Amino acid sequence: MGELSGQVAAICGGTSGVGLAIAQAFANDGASLMLSGRRAEKGDSALAELNIGDRAAYVQGDGTDKAHCEDLIAQTVARYGKIDILVNCAGGSKDNAPVAELSDDAMEFGMNVNFWSSFWLTRAALGHMIPQNYGRIIYISSVEGKVGKPGLAAYVAPKHAVNALTKTVAREVGTLGITVNALCAGAMDTPMMRESGPEAAESLGMTYEDLLGWFAQESATKRLVTVEDCAMVASLLVSEAGAGMTGGMISIDGGTAPY
Amino acid sequence: MGKLEGKVAAITGGTRSIGRAMAEAFLREGAQVVVNGRDAAKGEQALAEMGGGDNIAFFAGDASTQETNEGIVDFAVERFGKLDIMCCNSGGVRETAPVAQMSDAEWALEIDWNLNSVFWSMRRALQHMIPRETGRILVTSSVEGKLGKPGIPGYVATKHAVNGLVKSAAQEVGTLGITVNALLPGLIETDIVRETGPASAEMMGLPSYEAMLELFSQESAIQALNTVEQVAAAAVMFASDAAANLTGCLFAVDGGTMPY
Repeated sequence: MGELSGQVAAICGGTSGVGLAIAQAFANDGASLMLSGRRAEKGDSALAELNIGDRAAYVQGDGTDKAHCEDLIAQTVARYGKIDILVNCAGGSKDNAPVAELSDDAMEFGMNVNFWSSFWLTRAALGHMIPQNYGRIIYISSVEGKVGKPGLAAYVAPKHAVNALTKTVAREVGTLGITVNALCAGAMDTPMMRESGPEAAESLGMTYEDLLGWFAQESATKRLVTVEDCAMVASLLVSEAGAGMTGGMISIDGGTAPY
Repeated sequence: MGKLEGKVAAITGGTRSIGRAMAEAFLREGAQVVVNGRDAAKGEQALAEMGGGDNIAFFAGDASTQETNEGIVDFAVERFGKLDIMCCNSGGVRETAPVAQMSDAEWALEIDWNLNSVFWSMRRALQHMIPRETGRILVTSSVEGKLGKPGIPGYVATKHAVNGLVKSAAQEVGTLGITVNALLPGLIETDIVRETGPASAEMMGLPSYEAMLELFSQESAIQALNTVEQVAAAAVMFASDAAANLTGCLFAVDGGTMPY
């Protein structure tokens, strides 16, 4: 019996990368899972990899879609009767450019996938968590939620907004047994990074490898962090001890962020 | 298989309060542990209560002195053959006061107990860890390492200082397999707080000890105090091999008190 036995977690963007690593960690501790992601085939492969039978299910959808975010929470509750843990791993950016040349579409996409997804999911989840006086909400934010990088405004601004949401919601529901935290991760070589990284690098005038190297060089460890690092901290936050940890913007960045 | 199997940890303080909870958690996770305190008899009693057998040892000494902070590192290496985890934990205040009334003696004590102690034990531990290219330094800081409160200026100043020390040291040894992190607990009603709290409350201009607990609690999002077990759980995570990429963190265990 794991520490999360009987608990239910919804993970938006849970079929690969950091979301899947967190799903695996929670599954190992006994939780039941509802994962979402854009591509059904990745949903299938994630379920196969987790291999926990009825304790995991997948719903197809996209964090930029309000209806999907609300549906993920609704389907989680429909299947398992409740939701204890929400993790939002939806994130990314596209068409990055310096602000002087940044398109509305690029900023809108960044705000939708990073920030609005967090808001929509949280509002829907709190509807169930507040009456049960228990909940754990975790956003995958970024070191870019604390500092800035030129050319990445469509990522940096929404991640800062996610951190602001973290602080505000933590204060709103702090006495109701619900904690809200942001994991401010350094760059990870994940599918999302491999998807949006090369274009981001190009807009910054460098190669993808240079971009990863840049992130690594900013850290004290001179290397990238991993999805397992995030999963480890997420496990602490959903444990019993996590009751005393909320409103945190937790750096998982090899010593990059200055605060 | 515990998360700290085969590891050796030293904790300044450690016979009670946060350090004690860390020691107990580390033992459960398979580590060998050295704890420290001034009074040998109380130390032996604490060891007996913790029940760690040969996996725990006591090092007697005043944690505000250089001798003790360096000695505990040497003692751990001598007793258990190495040191993997250094918890620079001991700290506190004796007769705190607002700046205008602060005595030189109290100020000097707080600098020694909260700041120099961390430097002394960290330096000695790093000298042992750097050649081995592995190690974990964990500093017990405080929510007062980021905020400020009237009446406890020495505590606030020294806890801010150790946060800076953590950030510098983390950058120095970041590529050597050594992490340096600070845990920033909110107020916990430990034995030490029960002893020194009433006087601190008075110096903070508060009507009672209970009012001080209430003040700290009210500042948090959870409107509650923290527990030593919560801090110990975070300590286990940071001390583990798996936490190799977590360094330079000022990790709050404060129920959502700090704004950043």
